[in-house]
Amino acid sequence: MATTIASINLTSADLLSDSLSISAIATLTTAGSSTGLTGTEGLGRKKTANTSEYTLFAAANATDDKAHKIYLKNMSTTASEYFEVQIADVVIGRLYAGDWAFLPWSADSTGTNCDIDITPSANDMTIEYMLLTDE
Amino acid sequence: MATTATLTLASTDIAGDPVSVSKVATLTKAGTLNDLDQSIGLNRVHLRSTTEKVLLAANAEGNNLAAKVYMINKSEDASLYITVKINAQTTGKLYGGDFMFIPWSQTDTSASIKVAATNWTSSTGDIPVEYALFHEDTDFLTNA
Repeated sequence: MATTIASINLTSADLLSDSLSISAIATLTTAGSSTGLTGTEGLGRKKTANTSEYTLFAAANATDDKAHKIYLKNMSTTASEYFEVQIADVVIGRLYAGDWAFLPWSADSTGTNCDIDITPSANDMTIEYMLLTDE
Repeated sequence: MATTATLTLASTDIAGDPVSVSKVATLTKAGTLNDLDQSIGLNRVHLRSTTEKVLLAANAEGNNLAAKVYMINKSEDASLYITVKINAQTTGKLYGGDFMFIPWSQTDTSASIKVAATNWTSSTGDIPVEYALFHEDTDFLTNA
């Protein structure tokens, strides 16, 4: 059993009149158990040539309704450049330059086709990604 | 008003070599270097029903402006999960202890974020969920 730790820290000294500090640590486990996730497709990068929609993760390649986790980061340093992130053609949000996201993924391929798709706002952008799988 | 979000992913044994990913993002308004300057703060709710609930209602003004959502299932029971949906689409399940941090475009008023304690029963106890929203639109104020 592998042990994979995900931690998040949200901090600000001046957003509010008191300092903000939110922290959490999660041990990534298979669905409904304390067994650690054992699969990953590794840390990858994709350079997108144009502003077409790309499929980053195909739901058909993962088991439905498990505890998969996805990490994404827009590697651009141009503030106006973003990746629009979709699940099953539903827009989740835009990752602007330097933004990252970490989310659970149902990978449902029966009810709907829950591919993770990205649409870059400009040519020649790079996204970094990792899939941690519950298989 | 800089707010930073730091993610660390670490494992010594999920692959043949260690995995160590550490990323910091400064939360900014859409397409600019200006800091996000509003937050609803850290909220906590206890889910005690399988019924789907609106956690964050999308607002038209927020369409494609920058917003970031943090959510964590604070249950200590690894088997208890909440199902997270955006615009009626399931994104995934947060099991006890799991968190997520995502951008949220609020593409239309249907893009609300909903949660359900899908496998809750009267014997499992409440599922505590904490969440925060960092945003730039003003529609989270209720019009008088």
